[in-house]
Amino acid sequence: MYDLARGPLMWAAFIIFTGGVIYRSVQLFMLTRKKDRSFYTSQSLKKQDSGKYSSEEKKLELLVSFQNTLIGKHPVMALISTVFHFCLFVVPVFLFAHNLVLFESWGFVLVSLPDSVCDILTIIFLFCAVFFLVRRLVVPKVQAVSTPYDFLLLLITAAPFLTGLFAYHQWFDYNTVLIIHILAGEVMVAAIPFTKLGHMVFFFFVRILIGSEYSFGRGSRTWIT
Amino acid sequence: MKTVDTKKIKDMLKMKKARMKLSLSACASCSICAESCFLFMSKDKDPQYMPSYKVVNSLGKLYKKRGKVDRLFLEKMRDLIWKNCVLCERCYCPFGIDIPGMIAFARSICRSQGISGVYPHTLGAPEEEYSKNETG
Ligand code: SF4
Ligand code: SF4
Repeated sequence: MYDLARGPLMWAAFIIFTGGVIYRSVQLFMLTRKKDRSFYTSQSLKKQDSGKYSSEEKKLELLVSFQNTLIGKHPVMALISTVFHFCLFVVPVFLFAHNLVLFESWGFVLVSLPDSVCDILTIIFLFCAVFFLVRRLVVPKVQAVSTPYDFLLLLITAAPFLTGLFAYHQWFDYNTVLIIHILAGEVMVAAIPFTKLGHMVFFFFVRILIGSEYSFGRGSRTWIT
Repeated sequence: MKTVDTKKIKDMLKMKKARMKLSLSACASCSICAESCFLFMSKDKDPQYMPSYKVVNSLGKLYKKRGKVDRLFLEKMRDLIWKNCVLCERCYCPFGIDIPGMIAFARSICRSQGISGVYPHTLGAPEEEYSKNETG
């Protein structure tokens, strides 16, 4: 079982992930076209107008726009979500044990973080996951749009970390836990492109490439339909 | 009661299928968009006014049912996409999901079946206007 999980299934997961992410990106790209050049963007108009306002008014505007950001509106959610996604990326990629596997297979390693740091980050990650779970269960606005599918996806995301923690501390039967950990990781990686976890692709694509009020920068493309 | 032209609905859904389905599947149901909608805020934070709730329960359901819906279904949806949203485009989604665009599309589909909403505050008594709208 270990060989199966560590060999063909791992390949399958990585191929589904890479292929899926490329497929999704191409699909998104095909749904957009180059934006017509506009000479009067909201930014350029603002610049034109800026002379008209006193520094007090400008400060007030800055404050209001800050209050309207995610950090201003939901500071706790913004913090927890950022930490959650940070750990989600950093722990699996920079874990020493994973780099060891990488070295065994392909003969190269990335930088590794000390195990104790990853251990703490994993526990922080799991706390964030519990926060999301409780939020889904008790906050009415989140309840209203939560389906069993949302809970399942949270489980799929948290499972590799929970089993990883068990494996690292060698709680229960190490070999069984390790196999479950590998399988859980593969399920998560393969699920990214074709489930709601696809917001990973969607987020970067839309906020960087599509020009809108909330995009990072101007955005050079726009939707075709 | 008039029947609905499901073929027409299906064709319309197909026209924007790729983008709409991608947007629907990118929604993480995180509810961050809730407070950005002034209607949600002014209606005691009733989830029925939350942007993603409105999208998932209108366009989302249309895609889920692949357009196989009856008139009653569309009429129930009407309040959600007309009365509960004014398409002011002020909602904020961290992933850049175009919520007003999706609600507008759900409206187009309803309109193609002769169902449209009225804004009660501009057109007198809502019940009266609604029933007139249904028969007319
Ligand atoms: S529309 Fe955006 S902000 Fe609203 S629940 Fe979906 S992902 Fe979250
Ligand atoms: S467009 Fe609709 S959902 Fe968005 S903020 Fe305006 S009323 Fe709310």
